[in-house]
Amino acid sequence: MSDIPPNDAAQLDIRPVKQRIWKRLSLVWLVPVAALAISLGAAWQNYNDRGTLITISFENASGIQAGETVIKYRDVTVGEVESVEFSEGLTVVLVHARVDKTVAPFLDDDAQFWVVRPDVSVRGITGLETVLSGVYIAGNWDTEADVAQDEFTGLEQPNLTTASQRGTVVILRTSDGGSITAGAPVLHKGIQVGYLESPELSLDGDQVVVNAFIESPYDRRITTSTRFWDTSGFSVSFGAGGVSLDVSSLASLIEGGIAFDTVVSGGAPIKDGHRFDIFPDNASARDSLFTDPNAEVLEVAALFEESVTGLTAGSEVRFQGIRIGEVSDINAIVVGDGDDAQVRLQAVLAIEPSRIGMGGDATADDALALLSEFVARGLRARMVTGNILAGTLYVELIELEDALPAIVTLTSGRYPVIPTTDSQISDVAATAEGLLARINALPVEDLMDGAIDMMDSIERLANDEATRGVPASIVALADETRALVQSEDLQAIPNDLRNVIADLNGLVTEAEETGLIGDFDLAIETATAAARNIEVATQNLPAITAEIEALTAKANSLEFEALVASATDTLAAIDGVIGTPEAVALPGSLNGALEEMRGFLAEVREGGAIENVNDALASANEAARAIEDAVSTLPALSARANRLVAQTEAVIESYSERSRFGAETLQTLRDIQEAADALAALSRQIQRNPNSLLTGR
Amino acid sequence: MQDRVCKRCGGALQSRDAQSLQKVWAWLLAGMIAYLPANIYPMLLTSTLTTRSESTIIGGVIELVEHGSLGIAAIVFIASVMIPVGKFLAIAYLAISVQRRSMASQHERHRAYEVVEFIGRWSMIDVFVVAILSALVQLDTIATINPGIAAVSFALSVIFTMLSAQAFDSRLIWDADRTQQ
Repeated sequence: MSDIPPNDAAQLDIRPVKQRIWKRLSLVWLVPVAALAISLGAAWQNYNDRGTLITISFENASGIQAGETVIKYRDVTVGEVESVEFSEGLTVVLVHARVDKTVAPFLDDDAQFWVVRPDVSVRGITGLETVLSGVYIAGNWDTEADVAQDEFTGLEQPNLTTASQRGTVVILRTSDGGSITAGAPVLHKGIQVGYLESPELSLDGDQVVVNAFIESPYDRRITTSTRFWDTSGFSVSFGAGGVSLDVSSLASLIEGGIAFDTVVSGGAPIKDGHRFDIFPDNASARDSLFTDPNAEVLEVAALFEESVTGLTAGSEVRFQGIRIGEVSDINAIVVGDGDDAQVRLQAVLAIEPSRIGMGGDATADDALALLSEFVARGLRARMVTGNILAGTLYVELIELEDALPAIVTLTSGRYPVIPTTDSQISDVAATAEGLLARINALPVEDLMDGAIDMMDSIERLANDEATRGVPASIVALADETRALVQSEDLQAIPNDLRNVIADLNGLVTEAEETGLIGDFDLAIETATAAARNIEVATQNLPAITAEIEALTAKANSLEFEALVASATDTLAAIDGVIGTPEAVALPGSLNGALEEMRGFLAEVREGGAIENVNDALASANEAARAIEDAVSTLPALSARANRLVAQTEAVIESYSERSRFGAETLQTLRDIQEAADALAALSRQIQRNPNSLLTGR
Repeated sequence: MQDRVCKRCGGALQSRDAQSLQKVWAWLLAGMIAYLPANIYPMLLTSTLTTRSESTIIGGVIELVEHGSLGIAAIVFIASVMIPVGKFLAIAYLAISVQRRSMASQHERHRAYEVVEFIGRWSMIDVFVVAILSALVQLDTIATINPGIAAVSFALSVIFTMLSAQAFDSRLIWDADRTQQ
């Protein structure tokens, strides 16, 4: 068997077996078909899934990169930027992006897009992740599918309010937006319950309008009675309670902040977009609660003659300390005609009838009638200093009791004019000037001159020979007095008296024993006369005593101790005393008085009262002897003898009183001695330290 | 001739594989189809701390050129673009030349077939690079490299073309020559 066909064999008709084309196809063809199918399927699916193309226009597309920047909704990536291009005319940047088909239906007209960039603010740092990953576009829309759109305008600033947040947006108006920034907190009782969005100028440029978002459920606290006020910065207020420094949160200190509160109930609930005014502070916000802006206001004019510097539109009008309105306008008007014309300053007072105790529905006419009644009773307007430092004034309505009759003038000008009275303006400058003027007017130099004169006088007095002679004279006086007291005559008096009494005793005993009466009458009379003599003689002694006492008192009255002790207190008195010629002559007078005293005492000693007493006693002795004689002849007359005894006793008693004389004289002498010592000490002191008279030491 | 059986092993003997060209074309088509996404879709997904980049084959080559790494760009370009495309062309040329029974000399076509056989495996260099990078660079957030769809597609494309080259029955070249003569 051979595979090789013979060469000569006829050519075989070799043909491939006709197979049906189905059988001839290789199974391998399934592979490219499958690959194609898979590829096409994948491509179709890719195309199908690529999402909806939307276009967002931005002013500023910094950081947005095609193919990299993603669109996020609630931090979940829902799309990607496909391309970035300029619009026609290069006005805005158009960002084309594809968003997932699942969220595309929700992109209706409330959808908002903004670019999230790193933001560092007082409230914290946001968008920090974008520092590394690059910016992304954040989108926000509500959860209700509406008419889907594919063209949007991007926000330049992140919208703080996400549509899904529940709360209320109110529109706040203020005249000064300087303290308001986007994102600043809205506080309620110190808790942040919302935030401000970007402030914008109103269309007419008069006001700053800012949307505030109040989160639910705090927005339920907002009614038509709610007031908003500015809490930014800090406020320092002077008051009776001292200085009050009020600082809100640190964030609101820097960024500004708005607080609100609803103090009174009865407000109606509000809807989104309700408009509120921002008050400058809490106090004015609360004040405004009690003011119905729609209430009628009575406008009256007050004409002031004084300068109204410090009175401004808005200054308060008070009645008995309570604010009842404010000054709405100040202008100058001409009063009178021709030569009498005068320029007066007219303050228009806007008075709220509800503040003066009238009902809320009181009209201006009612209030004017009431005011006229008050004016007739003495109500006047005057300007009063409100704040001394700031020099602000307010207008006070005051009832004067002795006011001249006046009425509300209705005829002149636009407003009824209420009478005014003198203003009570205390000006700091004026007060300080007055104080300085008064200090200037003090006779300081005169005072100094007087003090120098007084010191001279005292020095002169202290150096005077006569003053130095005073102690010596007083010592001499004391010696004299001592000599008088020690004189034997004086000391003999008691003995003599004792003798007399002994004699009398003996006499009486005798008389009683003998019981004789006889010529007793005569004896009694003689005895009585004798007793009277004794009395007279004894009565001279008190005079002497009085004179010595007077002298002592005089010496005492000089009060040198007090002079030294209270020199400072009694400068004027001392000056007067020493300045008088009498005081200068005092040492002489004192010497004279002492001389007189000495002379008098010498006289006393030489032949005065003591002799008389002795004489009287001697005569009494004689009388006693006569009585003794008579006794032998006269019977006892007990009654008369008793009276005699009584009289004698009186004498004795009076003498016993006089016996104080010695003690008093000694006391007097001691006083004089002390006075002399004091004077000597004074003169020594003054010689040593003349200043002590001024300093009191 | 069709139903010969090996006397030793009993296996069916064929003088020529009748479906050879069909298989060649089928595998070639599959390889070309797979080559399209390999070029469209990203080969490497590179995520670093700050950026996330996807690079396709051509994109990577352009990037390398821009960075000035011309040598590496050339290697990548040759391995990923020139060789596969050259293989497609070479296999298609062989298949067509066998079918048309014409053109260049038998010797050159044999050489072309051997080159295709030899060079085919080197096409996998791209896939190896991707595999190695993906395995090595897995530093979580700092840097991560993942293979993209294109890597799989490219690998499939290379595999398909290799199968296509293998399916080519080189004896057909002789047949073509013979019939030409």
